[in-house]
Amino acid sequence: MAYWLLPHRTRIFLLILASYVFYGIWDPRFPALLLVPTIVDFFGANAIDGRRPASWKMILSSALPLLWLVICRGTGLAEIPSGAFIAAAFFVVLLTIVHSLFWLLQEEIRRKAFVVFSIATSLTILGFFKYFNFFAESTRSLLTNMGFHAGWVLPHIILPVGISFYTFQTLAYVIDVYRRQQKACIDLPTYALYLSFFPQILAGPIGRAPQLMPQWQEKKIFSPVYLHDGIRLILIGLFKKIFVADSCALLANACFDAKEPLGIAWSVLGAVAFTFQIYGDFSGYTDMARGSAKLFGIDLMINFRFPYRAKTPAEFWRRWHISLSSWFRDYLYIPLGGNRLSQNRMFLNLMITMLLAGLWHGAGNMFIVWGAYYGLLLILYRAIPFLDNLKNKGLFAMMVTFVLTMLGWVIFRSPDAHGFMQWMAGFLKISSELPWPGPAVWLVIHVVPLGLLQFLTRKKEDESELTHLAWPVRGLVYLLIFLLIVSTSAQDQEFIYFQF
Amino acid sequence: MKLFTKSFLLVMAMLLIGEASVRIFWSRNMSGRFEYGYNLTSGFEEEKDGRVHLVRAGGRRFRPQSFAMPKPQGVFRVFVIGDSVPRGPGMKKAYPYQLEKILREKGIRAEVFNLGVPGYGARRCQIVLKQVIQYQPDLIIRHINWTNEYEDEREYRRAQEFKSWHPKNWLMKSMLLARLNEIQTENIFWRLLPQEVRMQRGINDDDAEIAASQNDEKRRQWREFVNEKALEDAKIIKDAGVQGLFIAQAKIRKTVKGESYLDDEGMDSLLVLLAREGMHTLSMKDVFIHDSNLKELFSDGSHLHPPGHQKMADALALELIPLIPKQNLK
Repeated sequence: MAYWLLPHRTRIFLLILASYVFYGIWDPRFPALLLVPTIVDFFGANAIDGRRPASWKMILSSALPLLWLVICRGTGLAEIPSGAFIAAAFFVVLLTIVHSLFWLLQEEIRRKAFVVFSIATSLTILGFFKYFNFFAESTRSLLTNMGFHAGWVLPHIILPVGISFYTFQTLAYVIDVYRRQQKACIDLPTYALYLSFFPQILAGPIGRAPQLMPQWQEKKIFSPVYLHDGIRLILIGLFKKIFVADSCALLANACFDAKEPLGIAWSVLGAVAFTFQIYGDFSGYTDMARGSAKLFGIDLMINFRFPYRAKTPAEFWRRWHISLSSWFRDYLYIPLGGNRLSQNRMFLNLMITMLLAGLWHGAGNMFIVWGAYYGLLLILYRAIPFLDNLKNKGLFAMMVTFVLTMLGWVIFRSPDAHGFMQWMAGFLKISSELPWPGPAVWLVIHVVPLGLLQFLTRKKEDESELTHLAWPVRGLVYLLIFLLIVSTSAQDQEFIYFQF
Repeated sequence: MKLFTKSFLLVMAMLLIGEASVRIFWSRNMSGRFEYGYNLTSGFEEEKDGRVHLVRAGGRRFRPQSFAMPKPQGVFRVFVIGDSVPRGPGMKKAYPYQLEKILREKGIRAEVFNLGVPGYGARRCQIVLKQVIQYQPDLIIRHINWTNEYEDEREYRRAQEFKSWHPKNWLMKSMLLARLNEIQTENIFWRLLPQEVRMQRGINDDDAEIAASQNDEKRRQWREFVNEKALEDAKIIKDAGVQGLFIAQAKIRKTVKGESYLDDEGMDSLLVLLAREGMHTLSMKDVFIHDSNLKELFSDGSHLHPPGHQKMADALALELIPLIPKQNLK
């Protein structure tokens, strides 16, 4: 309520403060890292738009990461290695030099130079923190296998939570400004909030500037609708996370963390359980994020639209993690040529897009295999008319896609190739190492209520929309959801998508 | 638009009605999940027909047994209170069951109930004692040792934390919600999932427990605490006019040469104090001291194999028969 009593401008500062504190709780050093793309892309986008900032403003702003690191060390919040101070100081110098030099260039070249610099900065940060160790380790293994001794010691790099999400969000903004599809934001606090808004910073949805920016600028007054919608979304999100995902996680973990194959029944149980775990986990988080944002009068985009009702893998991606799949479509697949060029080129574009989508999820071989698997499915569905025609078969097509999706999740969940082979080996073992009928009933108990909820919302765009129901039915649904949440006793699990 | 919608008000009304109903009709019938055994009725379900069922208490369970609340006439009723040692590897393989069998074979109308719960230390054993003393026992057998105090303390802390008004406890202050959670836990979670799956929820603080058990000061505190509680238990038993028998547990140790021997960790001095309070005493060390085949009797350092339980039952029968009044003979 304090938020709604504040003047509009103060609300933005309050939300920035809350967002940075929230992000800093994970690691006090993370806010310094978040400030880098914020500042680079804010001034970069303005430069692309032909707006030259006052040098003192830029220098002062670019010194914020350094200032934050000094505060962290001074207050004992975190240990900061001297290399971090050097990098932060270098950042001030680099940004000043880049802007001084780029402004000497002709307009079109300058625009290109700034967009390349912005993209390069974001991808360098993402690449270093997320992929450096993976590629260095892979290279070392490769060299060792070839008979060379690669004796380098890899640094311990902490993966900042949510880095993939806010990096993609800032990339989308800069590219949109460069394409002249979006005006550059002229207010640094508004842009800082666009990147750091706490409900979405950890696991999305990956927002788009045209949708979010106007909402920050609009002077809203409190409406009970914000409260009702916010609480409804949070309640449904908690239900998906606590009741569905965490309960399914018990079975999925038992299956995929086992030291040896548990048998055919558990291979099936594990796959089904993880399929619903990851859906409940991620869509639950998204609902909670949307609900939290709604309490502040902000609409975040819908990220899931009944994904397991898809009739083809392509449709699945139009329903699953929509903010990411649409990002890859708009900023990678279409710029690569999409389906406008030859069929072979389209297949290549699909494969590149899905491989990178897999890699986005994490620095691991299985994520790349998972991306390749989807690349292959999308190609096969385009190349083979029989598969493409399946989408007219209704329930059958849905079942086929569900099984294919489930197999994809098995690849995604398997810790490595050996883990996947172990899961496969379970199908060769009729007898079960662990009793399975009880767990199967457990799975049904925790998945059927989700199915019933989705049956009620089946005709709506938003799968968490219940307002079309008569109020007594709605009340009963809320009551049941609430009781199911509080009565569940599954172990609390961290959100899967926080690691990306 | 109104701040409170009709559907919200309906939810609140139904929750309030549910809460009132639970408080009126089911208030006593709680297995104490959130009290971690720190409640007199934890694990005891009293039915209207006068029977008492032993059920789960705070995530742990008594072995399923039941008895009549008013003791049948002429029956010699024994409750065995302790941890996993008297609980044994199975209901019929543990010594309380075998003791009952021996006593009955000797013509004594005895009923012996096994109230061993794994991990129960001095605190929770005293709570069990306070509850069963109401069920007209003739004899209480109380196991004592110094190995469960870490877990007892941890669970005590959790029980105390739960009593606080920290926001994380707010929902479970509602008897309706707590009861629902218990029903789900007892009837769905425990019944449907195998132990390997359930174990993911377990608390793994083995490192902290090992560190605490290697701390001399901590061990000294635990010993003093166990002594104090055992003497309090003796007083409770005495004041109730019941006979008490305290069993000092023993552990297998190895000499430098690798030979096994039994160690009661100095508990004999506690037995002397308890004997002065009018309690009967028995040391497991004395029961097994002449056995050279300890490995066949003990499953690990302190738990017994079925033959070990049989031997305990035989030894206890010898101790108890002189104590049993003639009216309990068939």
